[in-house]
Amino acid sequence: MHIPDNFLSTPVWATFDAISLPAVALMVKRASRQLEDTRVPLLGVMGAFVFAAQMINFPVGVGTSGHLVGGALLACTLGPAPAVLVMTVIIAIQAFVFQDGGVLALGANVFNMAIAGVLAGYLPIQIWGAGGRRRRALFAGAVLSVMVAGSLALGELLISGVVMPRAVILTAVALFAVSALIEGAITVSVVGALEKLNTGFVQRPERSPRRSLAALGGSALALGAVGFLFASTAPDGIERLGIQLGLATKTAFHAPLADYTIGYFGAGYFGSAWLRKATAGLAGLLLIYAVCVAAARWIGREKSA
Amino acid sequence: MHHVLLDRWSQRASALHARDPRAKIIVLLVFLIVLATTPVQAVVMVGIQAALLAAAVLLAGLPFAGVLARAAVVLPFSLTFGLISWLAGEPLRALALVEKSYLSTLAVLLVVGTTPLPRLLSGLEALGVPRLLVLVAQFLYRYLFVISEQAQHMRVAAACRQGSSRHRRPRFHAAAGALAMLFARSYNRAEGVHRAMLARAFTGRFSTLGSLRFGAVDGLFVVATSLFLVLVRLQ
Repeated sequence: MHIPDNFLSTPVWATFDAISLPAVALMVKRASRQLEDTRVPLLGVMGAFVFAAQMINFPVGVGTSGHLVGGALLACTLGPAPAVLVMTVIIAIQAFVFQDGGVLALGANVFNMAIAGVLAGYLPIQIWGAGGRRRRALFAGAVLSVMVAGSLALGELLISGVVMPRAVILTAVALFAVSALIEGAITVSVVGALEKLNTGFVQRPERSPRRSLAALGGSALALGAVGFLFASTAPDGIERLGIQLGLATKTAFHAPLADYTIGYFGAGYFGSAWLRKATAGLAGLLLIYAVCVAAARWIGREKSA
Repeated sequence: MHHVLLDRWSQRASALHARDPRAKIIVLLVFLIVLATTPVQAVVMVGIQAALLAAAVLLAGLPFAGVLARAAVVLPFSLTFGLISWLAGEPLRALALVEKSYLSTLAVLLVVGTTPLPRLLSGLEALGVPRLLVLVAQFLYRYLFVISEQAQHMRVAAACRQGSSRHRRPRFHAAAGALAMLFARSYNRAEGVHRAMLARAFTGRFSTLGSLRFGAVDGLFVVATSLFLVLVRLQ
């Protein structure tokens, strides 16, 4: 889900731009440290592959078909940092060349799909990927990557004040869940076929689950929490400032005291409305996360059995 | 494919095509930020911004109807949300969503339609985007068409082989196999490409014909347009 420009309120896109910029820079640094020179064209060509992969349709149900999104597949073949990099470039090219997603909203889209999506997708692979529960880990990773990206986008839209009745939100979540399950099935299936072709394609994470689990889980959680906190606190502060500034310029000729009280009431109203919205969004996100993890485990067990 | 159209547009010549990509990127950002912070009620302000865009499209010599149609890719998304907002009793907000997202798309299209992508990317690199990202973007754009064509061939071939199959499972596995094959081919192609580039003395950066030059006209363009946009916004 690529968010176009002017759907997110200014504090929200500005915050996500401010988060994504250093995060992508960090990933570029990490990726260039791991990569030998030969892999640079590889990253570009694999990005083109993810684009082209959307042309190959997977039959899923009655008359419907899905296609690969690619976050988890890239993470388990290229490694997490290069995968984040490739996804970032893909999203930027989609914004500029295909007008799919906004330019100011690029930070938000990159955060949702490239940073949070890919890292959330890599987390289960990193934890269980080396052992016998590989397929399950892959499935869970792919499901998580789509689910996390989708719910983050939904949360950002809600915080920005885009009107969405409950029915619409539920429909959107259901759609995300379906496409997440499809992504899981496709990823497992493609990786299976890849390993038959050449076992060297798929990276196996080293067996040090505890330390890397802590590091990766921690950083993913921190990224998510910081992003959400920033996103939900920024509108409050900045909107209040904006209201006061706006009132100050409009009512410059009025008595200063009247101006102040209006500003105060306005801020109070916006504060409470925002608080309700933010808590509801956060609670919904957590719920979706829990349901999704549970479902992924259950389906993964059935698949590998 | 429709992005070929964009390549053709960006090869034309006009005053806008001739501007330095950095200047266009800066003006685009100023425009987008001004538009994003314009209040919904300010109809005149949005009108002036739209008029400015229209004038720029004409100045660039791009086909007017074609640009408008191309920017309409955002409409399915924004119209859906606009409709929801309207039904929820916020017509002003609905209007803002639709018209402002459309204008933003138009602005991006105008910049991409007057700047060939390699030049746009070197402009971004000059503005501080990490070289690795730019390099990956250049490779991606170069091989996008090649690999897409290959995917198309494979899809046709798969349809020929098992078009009559009604069972979902084998078709699903066949699609997965095709995708894995495409992956392997892309991987091998990347290695071959890199070896060939090394053999032709690739040093890790693309050298383009004609380096970027940020001249006085570009500076004037940036200052005048930004000043105009900001002054209109402040009215």
